Amino acid sequence: MSLVRAEYRKITRRKIYPVMTLLLVAFVGLGAFFLIVFGEIAPEAAEGLPVLEKPVVYEVGAQQAATQFWFPLILAVVLLGGELSTTVWATSLTRESRKGRQILARFGTYAVATTIAFLVAFCFWVALAAVFAPGEGFMEPADLVGVVWKSAVIAIAWTAVGTGAVSLLRSVGPAIGVGLAIYFAEGFLALWDPWENVSITAASTALFNVDFGGGFGGLIPGLGLPLWHQLTILAGWTALGLGLTWWGLQRRDA
Amino acid sequence: MVSMMSNGSAAIRVRGLHKRYGRTEALRGLDFDIPAGQLTGFLGPNGAGKTTTFRALLGLTRPNDGEIEMLGLPVPSRLHEIVKKVGVIVEEPGLIKSLNGRTNLAIAADTLGFGHERIEEMLEFVGLTTDAHRKAGDYSKGMRQRLALAAAMLGDPELLILDEPLDGLDPAGQHAFRARLKDLAAQGRTVVVSSHDLADIEALADYVVVVDEGRLVTEGPLESMLEVGNTRVKTSDDVRAAEILTAVGLDVRQDDSGLLVGGAGGSSVVEALAKAGIFPDEVRPERSTLESVFLGLTGRGDQ
Repeated sequence: MSLVRAEYRKITRRKIYPVMTLLLVAFVGLGAFFLIVFGEIAPEAAEGLPVLEKPVVYEVGAQQAATQFWFPLILAVVLLGGELSTTVWATSLTRESRKGRQILARFGTYAVATTIAFLVAFCFWVALAAVFAPGEGFMEPADLVGVVWKSAVIAIAWTAVGTGAVSLLRSVGPAIGVGLAIYFAEGFLALWDPWENVSITAASTALFNVDFGGGFGGLIPGLGLPLWHQLTILAGWTALGLGLTWWGLQRRDA
Repeated sequence: MVSMMSNGSAAIRVRGLHKRYGRTEALRGLDFDIPAGQLTGFLGPNGAGKTTTFRALLGLTRPNDGEIEMLGLPVPSRLHEIVKKVGVIVEEPGLIKSLNGRTNLAIAADTLGFGHERIEEMLEFVGLTTDAHRKAGDYSKGMRQRLALAAAMLGDPELLILDEPLDGLDPAGQHAFRARLKDLAAQGRTVVVSSHDLADIEALADYVVVVDEGRLVTEGPLESMLEVGNTRVKTSDDVRAAEILTAVGLDVRQDDSGLLVGGAGGSSVVEALAKAGIFPDEVRPERSTLESVFLGLTGRGDQ
């Protein structure tokens, strides 16, 4: 537990986490502007855009927030990579030599931090939707619980991919490059039917099972996959990411 | 090889340690013991294998062969227990530069699994209380080293392993750091300090381990190493005296203070000179410097 406390202290006392969270909120806010606010303030110009009504608009917001996969990737890469490329990681091992505990503490902290950031962005979307979206009603409590666990599952899987990439490369710059390459390439591959069945992007995006109309549903990969299949894919990617993290940190000296 | 222990117990025991990096053999069957409760200098030129040895002790690199025991426990199988009792600075102090000194210590305490009770005490010990709110990245090198020492001391360790802690410090910083290390040794802790600087070790250590090219050159109490017999001789005719002593097979060097005779006691010098009718004005034992011992043992003095 004290290792988690150390990681919590590292993440909360540095600027990167709040700055990235603000960026995430800005991206989600931009989406909300075009999908909710724009239609209200300039209905003629917004013609053709889907009209998101309450309460579906909130589900869309949860999906919009939790599918900012770059967030967990970059957070994990920058924080862990910053340690691996200096003597911070080695020094940490001189205080707690069990690498498994060190990895899990970091992984868990990054995943929780990502989940919280997703939820903050979701709350921002909810605030805009509550003011600007047409219609009535709010999400059921069970749906809100779903937002939390689905955000967490996505955060876990993508954090694992990020820690895996940086543990293999041990350098922040190249690992960010590889992380973003995975983010974009996997996103395109997810549109290819054979890959869709194992795609982390498809499984993550479809987890919320939201088709917000306007003919966009066909562009969301993985919508046809059952929930157990989506969770299996995400569990597989989590295992792969953590396995690579473990192997990357074991195979070379600290 | 000299191998003496002060109280019979070794804080660190290394046998047959080998480490290869590709074709480069960094450690070639290194053996040594570090006595408990003393300040030991781990001495060797750059590239001798000092940092690799420390990294192997701490599980940061896997040796290809050999056995390590620290505080009576085997490494790496019991390392997770050992590290709680060991304070470490290896290479650059592993500080998070964007965080202030106090937070760095809090993180170190959390990682160790200890409370924060000793943080203020350690800041005071290393003289950083008033700078604890500043970012570690804004510290001078000396301040960073002192903060790293404070972090290493948080767990009240039995054993301190410090890799080149004085390297790059200005004279005032070195003085302050040496004073802290002597305080720690005076408390009965085992302190191991590596350095390539012979003067550092001579000023600090009770016990010395000398390594070169990945092998042990010698180990033993510093005093006994420095007492290896040199004799200072002054006569009315140093040139002739030098000829006589050289003729009987002694190693003689002439300098401004007279003759320095290596490897011989005063009585044998007096005897040789008296036989030739020369009666010296002064004969006294002269301590070696660590530098001369080191150069003699490694053969580097001839290079």
